[in-house]
Amino acid sequence: MVEPANIVVGIPSYNNAKTIGHVVKAVDAGLAKYFPDKKAVIVNSDGGSKDRTPEVIKNTTIDHNALLIQHPLSMAHRITTPYHGVPGKGSAIRTIFQMAVDMGASACAIVDSDLRSITPEWIELLLSPVLKEGKDFVAPLYNRHKFDGTITNSIVYPVTRAFYGKRIRQPIGGEFGFSGNMAEFYLKQDVWGTDVARFGIDIWMTTEAIANDFRVCQAFLGAKIHDPKDPSSDLSEMLVQVISSLFDLTEKHSGKWKEVKGSIDVPTFGFRYHVGLEHVKVNVGRMLGIFRDSLDNLDKIWLEVIGAGDFGEVKTLGAVSDEEFRFPLKLWTKIIYDYAIAYHKKKLPPQHLIKSLIPLYLAKTASFVMEVADMEQEGAEAEIEKLCLEFEANKEHLISNWK
Amino acid sequence: MEGFLNLILEPINEVYLKFKGFSPNLLAMLTIIIIGICAAWLVKTVFLKLFKAIKFDSWCDRMGITALMRKGDMWAKPSDVSVAVIFWLLVTVSMMVGFSALDIQAINNLVNQFFLYLPNAFSAVLILFIGYMVSGFLSRAALIAAVNSGLSYAKLLANAIRLLLTVLFFAMALEQLNVAPNIVVSAFTIIFGGIVIALAISFGVAGIETARKMIEGKKAGSGKNDKGDVEHI
Repeated sequence: MVEPANIVVGIPSYNNAKTIGHVVKAVDAGLAKYFPDKKAVIVNSDGGSKDRTPEVIKNTTIDHNALLIQHPLSMAHRITTPYHGVPGKGSAIRTIFQMAVDMGASACAIVDSDLRSITPEWIELLLSPVLKEGKDFVAPLYNRHKFDGTITNSIVYPVTRAFYGKRIRQPIGGEFGFSGNMAEFYLKQDVWGTDVARFGIDIWMTTEAIANDFRVCQAFLGAKIHDPKDPSSDLSEMLVQVISSLFDLTEKHSGKWKEVKGSIDVPTFGFRYHVGLEHVKVNVGRMLGIFRDSLDNLDKIWLEVIGAGDFGEVKTLGAVSDEEFRFPLKLWTKIIYDYAIAYHKKKLPPQHLIKSLIPLYLAKTASFVMEVADMEQEGAEAEIEKLCLEFEANKEHLISNWK
Repeated sequence: MEGFLNLILEPINEVYLKFKGFSPNLLAMLTIIIIGICAAWLVKTVFLKLFKAIKFDSWCDRMGITALMRKGDMWAKPSDVSVAVIFWLLVTVSMMVGFSALDIQAINNLVNQFFLYLPNAFSAVLILFIGYMVSGFLSRAALIAAVNSGLSYAKLLANAIRLLLTVLFFAMALEQLNVAPNIVVSAFTIIFGGIVIALAISFGVAGIETARKMIEGKKAGSGKNDKGDVEHI
């Protein structure tokens, strides 16, 4: 029998001994400082770490006096539990949902275990909209380098916004706040054998919250800096898991998104400010090289998926020099919609279909990097806004071809 | 003189009489084959129209049959493939029936053998079909993976995989057909081994530098590369 708790903060982990101590300290301090009268539990759902991650969590201590925090009524308990099912972040989060429901928590938050920039305020910003404003789902909003989050910027954000009409800027951010009702809803869904159990969890949580008319909002958390990793090495799997979850949701909610026109802002909490961000290196030449090589190698697949007209345009792009290379926004939106249609019509096995998108995605990313190279963050954001509007304007292309 | 003439005319007469007796069979065979081909063509046209009317291709899309064909790198429409199979099946059957109309013991035996051989032929066709699917699926998976890794010989690699698997499945099909099994196994071993050695040598000769870099990269064990450090999500 688990003891009841008001707040559950989940930290999914796998081999994060280096960073998880800092995350636990920030969470603990956040709970003590902003919710001293609530009974809180920190749940670590671990995927079998071999670097003593669970021990780090147990042994991490925090001096509340040093942080000018008066002791809460009851200290946050820490529970480390292994998860079952498909190995991945989604399965870890499912365990957190289960514990939150079992404890009857009214508010929950999930934070990544590799964060370096998390502060106690993140916990307040993720939980307060639920506890004080009655929201069901809080998405994060970060300051990120203009070259970071390229799948989010070029596919996930514009598509989610165009489909469901809500402007949630970081639909796959990794940190979330949600109500107990929301956790119960998530837990009831039968998706835990799919890509949702892995990287698809973030987009699934966000989309289900919007598509099922839960009260959604976003909270500004500042800069997101996390443990460095080689993103190109797992791009392929990451893209497959995220995009297949996105397209599966498109299938599921086809009755909903066809009716949506345009988009609206969602309430945003937190004090917005500018922060210095680390420089991000981008190898544009390599990205365009892969794209050009693919024109001869993936021609049959692209012709089948995007049709002769758009393929002709893509082929023309292959002849443009690196410096002058620009990927037309309209062409990109049509390509993504055509891929959604091909996924819907099962034209190719999902893995092959989505992986064949990678060279086009790299070309789009390279184009974006060159376009905004001399711009400030606001300029880059304005370019993303243009892309979003293009997705909204061309939605009819998807609707008319969706049979 | 008359005897000599008889000697010449008698065989000709015999052949003529035999031909006369045989010609109805020949005519029957040709008629059956021609009617069979016409009927096959007619059935093909009817089925093509029927498939169009019932939106067979869309149904195949929904049922995942098109995806299965695409897995095998088969890009024709399901309806076209289906009518082609029906057409050639009818043509083959009508030819067999036509041949049996000749009523020649040897051909009758052959036709009987053909029908007895059908289960083996069916198994062989099934093996070839599965082989086609598997080789198409794996070669395309290799092609996409190689393209995304930036390998310039992606198509070559995919074609090599397809060739190796095709040889393997052909050998399996021939074995199923009992076509000189020993020779098939030996030929397969030689061809398959030859292809692998050829690939190894060509990689060894042309890719020394690449192999060296790959090994050095592994030894260095550093995560650093020239991919840049964009965070995609």
